Amino acid sequence: MVAGQGTTPTPAPVLPPRSEVGAVGWARANLFSSWYNSLLTVIASAAVVLGLWFGLNWVVLDAEWGVIETIGGRFIIGGYNTDQACPGNDCFWRPQAALLMTTALLGMLWVVAGGVVGRIAMAVAAAAALCAFLPYSMERMGLDVRLLLLANLPALGVGWALARYTPVGKPRWVLVTGVSVFLLTVVLLRGIPGVWGLQPVPTLYWGGLTLNLLLAVAGIALSLPLGIALALGRRSDLPIVKLLCVAFIEIFRGVPLITLLFASQHLVPLAFPEAFPRNSLFSAGVVITLFSAAYMAENIRGGLQSLHPGQAEAARALGLAGWQTTLLISLPQAIRNVIPTIVGQFISLFKDTSLVYIIGMVDMVEIGRTFILGNPEYRISTKEVFIFIALVFWAFTYGMSYASRRLEQRLGVGTR
Amino acid sequence: MATTPRALTYRGIPVWRHALIIRWVVQIVSALVAVTLVVWFFANIVGAIQERDIPAGFGFLSREYQTPIGEHFIPYESSDTFLYALLVAAINTVVVAILGVILATMLGVLIGVARLSGSWILSRLMLVYIEFFRNVPLLVQLLFWFFIVLTLPPVREGYVFFDRIYVNNAGISMPGPVGSSLASASAWLALAAVSVGLGVLVHRVLTWREDRTGRASYPLAAGITVAVACGAAAWLIVGSVVGEAPLVISSPEPYGRFGRIGGGFTIRAGLLILLIGLVIYTSAFVAEIVRAGIQSVGRGQTEASRALGLSGIDTLRHVTFPQALRVIIPPMISQYLNLTKNSSLGGAVGYTDLTNVAITMTQTAPAVSIFLLIMLAYLAMSLTWSLIGNLYNRHIRIVGG
Amino acid sequence: MNGLMKLVIAATLFLAPMLLIACSRETPEQTSDPAAAEGSRLDAVKARGNVVCASNNGIPGFGFIDENGNHVGFDVDLCRAVAAAVLGDADAIEIVPISATEMGATVQSGDVDLLVRTVTRSSSRDAKWGNFAYTMYYDGQGFLVRKDMNVPSVLDLEGAAVCVTQGTTTELNLQDFSNQYDLGIQAVTFEKTDSAVEAYRNGQCDAFTTDHSGLYAYRSSLPIPDDHIVLPETISEEPLAPAVPHGDEQWYDIVNIVMSMLVYAEAYGISSDNVPTAVTGNSKVDRLFGLEGSFGQETLGISRTAAQDVIRSVGNYAEIYHRSLGDDGIGLPRGDNTRNALWSAAPCSDCPKGGQIYASPLR
Repeated sequence: MVAGQGTTPTPAPVLPPRSEVGAVGWARANLFSSWYNSLLTVIASAAVVLGLWFGLNWVVLDAEWGVIETIGGRFIIGGYNTDQACPGNDCFWRPQAALLMTTALLGMLWVVAGGVVGRIAMAVAAAAALCAFLPYSMERMGLDVRLLLLANLPALGVGWALARYTPVGKPRWVLVTGVSVFLLTVVLLRGIPGVWGLQPVPTLYWGGLTLNLLLAVAGIALSLPLGIALALGRRSDLPIVKLLCVAFIEIFRGVPLITLLFASQHLVPLAFPEAFPRNSLFSAGVVITLFSAAYMAENIRGGLQSLHPGQAEAARALGLAGWQTTLLISLPQAIRNVIPTIVGQFISLFKDTSLVYIIGMVDMVEIGRTFILGNPEYRISTKEVFIFIALVFWAFTYGMSYASRRLEQRLGVGTR
Repeated sequence: MATTPRALTYRGIPVWRHALIIRWVVQIVSALVAVTLVVWFFANIVGAIQERDIPAGFGFLSREYQTPIGEHFIPYESSDTFLYALLVAAINTVVVAILGVILATMLGVLIGVARLSGSWILSRLMLVYIEFFRNVPLLVQLLFWFFIVLTLPPVREGYVFFDRIYVNNAGISMPGPVGSSLASASAWLALAAVSVGLGVLVHRVLTWREDRTGRASYPLAAGITVAVACGAAAWLIVGSVVGEAPLVISSPEPYGRFGRIGGGFTIRAGLLILLIGLVIYTSAFVAEIVRAGIQSVGRGQTEASRALGLSGIDTLRHVTFPQALRVIIPPMISQYLNLTKNSSLGGAVGYTDLTNVAITMTQTAPAVSIFLLIMLAYLAMSLTWSLIGNLYNRHIRIVGG
Repeated sequence: MNGLMKLVIAATLFLAPMLLIACSRETPEQTSDPAAAEGSRLDAVKARGNVVCASNNGIPGFGFIDENGNHVGFDVDLCRAVAAAVLGDADAIEIVPISATEMGATVQSGDVDLLVRTVTRSSSRDAKWGNFAYTMYYDGQGFLVRKDMNVPSVLDLEGAAVCVTQGTTTELNLQDFSNQYDLGIQAVTFEKTDSAVEAYRNGQCDAFTTDHSGLYAYRSSLPIPDDHIVLPETISEEPLAPAVPHGDEQWYDIVNIVMSMLVYAEAYGISSDNVPTAVTGNSKVDRLFGLEGSFGQETLGISRTAAQDVIRSVGNYAEIYHRSLGDDGIGLPRGDNTRNALWSAAPCSDCPKGGQIYASPLR
């Protein structure tokens, strides 16, 4: 638009031709703007139509979804509530209680972060509550289970109200609550010897999606402090410190996780004294944390590098000491800048937790695979099982990356 | 009461605030902590090794491995040593990594460009592809493809195209070059490599001259001609000295009671599944990188180029892409590194990659030593990728920018 | 380039200690066992209240998870028998499913009380891993092929592609066999046995090889088992036996004698539904069940009537076999003259005699 002089009379508005507006105009601009775009549109449309036709046909008519129903809750908690893991099968409420706490935490986050987090919190609570109405017989899914699932809706409300109307709603307290919920979840799942109703369940039987989520959350949370330390070390001008940090980071980033996991099975029991737990979960936790810390360090280093040097200089000019500058000025900004990256790392760590099958842990993928291969009558439904698992993973990872993108917009990363 | 003024003599910085001393103390303390941790870990390991009588050492490397390796690209017998078997396995990983990187880049660039296509529906379709395949764990995808490839017909009922190409659930077999004898084949391959080197040299010299004098001398054509001519000459020389062609085309053919396919060049099911999985997974990431790279190029660049009369394809090729490359290359290198590391999932679909063979080896050899070796191998691969990335970055650096 | 050099140096520094470790011991030497010093394993088991057995959750017949999610199978029953003898409760067990590659390290570490995971006993494993109790099942590696391929013998497998699980002696035996008879067998290896079977079922391989017991088990899991046959010959000897960690002879003796009890009970016709609680008059039976005399229960540290608990809750050898491996399980034949029948010198006409399953006298 040419900046017009004030004297020029404004011409009467000329409406664009009909072919440029509305549905036709949109189609012309976005589908048939040139001959090759038209060709591509036709080919792509044909692909979509064919894909949908055969896909829906298969989903509705040919696929045997019964296998998903048969595996059912095992996808979520693995062998946790079997006779061997929990004699009497009355441990089901423990993962459920953990879920309730998580929903309440999401409710609190809703207040703190708002927007997309609220929608995700509602979706999680609604999905859990909907599970209460699954058409299982009452013997397979008792009233107690259904009620606990339904309780997720009030739990969300409680969390929301707590954060909204009490001082717990400060981000600091939400963080503290989050850490407590995680620790409580672990204690609840593990059990306490001698306490009625909390009989210990060996980590061997922890499985399914719970295991994937637990490992990913623990990996990210524990790797954050380690990653910060490594990032600072790598940026420091102290040669020995820098060398050590670079070595750690590059070794853990250069070797595949599956190799590290398998090595851990041989090395972790040797490297830790007998007092430490000797189980695959512990080995997996250690390796996933170290692996994640190496990536975390690089992300945080990126965040630190993106800061304008003026920030640190201003802090120094105000008389802050070196460590004060780092802790109070640089790190908070750096971490805020890399939150989307950390979410991305969490997503890829979550996907990577499926590799724990190599050390005999039964995560969600392994549950599906062992079920198919151990129950030959369901071999025909292999595709269904893997598509279901893929969709569950996809729902989680896509949800998280969507939330992170919205969060990025809200935080205004890169715009300040 | 009069207060005595404090003497204003300068006593120097107190020891505990002296920057140099703090630096060294911090360094020494952190080094000590790190060393203590490492020593503690390794002392525990050594102690446990001695206590539990776990074998260690590298003596096993010269022993016979005595175990089959499903896929191998260099000749392998079960009587070969552990060291050689590790080499075979490392080559398996390298082959998958190279093939995967090439294919994933091609597919990824295609999808990334299509994602920005003027056709809304194509762009959406690609968005679905990207968002689906990069958000589902690679292991799930590999297992899915594993079961899909198994649904192909078995070898005796497999598809045969042109009487030469066999497709079945054991893999794809096609005609391929085979050395008629090790000596002649390797002699010719060495000479061919020299010929290619000569061709490159000619190309560079002519390019340099063209840049200096501005006279067209067709460097690419000349280079290729030189390389082909020298290669052909080498072929004739080697052929006449040995008395047979260095390489012959071998066609796959069924043999024996079970109708297995022998001869030619075979991509076995394990490699096929791993490649499909890795390429589709990685291409989704590559596509996103390419899209971001292209979008990072200012709109004005494209508009200027269109104003100069360049077509859409030419704009992409000569204006957008070269500039986008600077943004694309660093994340791309890290994707290549990821692909290399992800190839360690080969074991899940029946491909004998480095990790897979190493895991098998721990049955009959000291685990600690084997992990050390394969860690070094993976580190070497990742260093190679970083090196390539660094070199390329230097190559495309904006001169005088 | 400077950064790269630094990285190389750093990596070397980091890896150097590992290198030292790896080189530190070329020849293993005998060392004292930690368990022995800390008190007997029997006391530890009693204090803990359960027997920890390393087993499997994916081998039909031997160790697998039934539709209720419980560990069952031949191996699991052997573990239950030990728990019944020591603690009086066959359910006081914890099953640690491990893969074939972990067997050695697991039993060496002493973290488990018993390894019952279709383990083949061999001299080097006996020396390195732990002590092997009586052989409870005689197995051997064989081949499963499609009936319509008309393969009469293993020697007709020339040029076949054979699916095999990696990380086991199976792979090694297959290679040896192929080399010995110059058969040019093409091994297609898989990380998991399940995947190997799946590949065989879909015709990616012409044959599937593992131990005979496994072949019958997997055959029964195929859609039409009768389309497949197990070739009669075996190419290896695989005596399967439970193993215990080195260093505690009392525990080793207990496991051995519990295995004997199972066989003994079968030989004397005692099954879970006719366990004697009062003196029967047959002195051998009475001694076994702690009704008269002793076979050494006091020295072993188990209750006098341990055998009653074992047989009542787990059954005798025949019952265990029948339940998991026989007709109620995976359909492994146990004819009178197969190796897994009882061997007996008893002067009766209907006693089985031809097998190799045998218990040393309890007295």
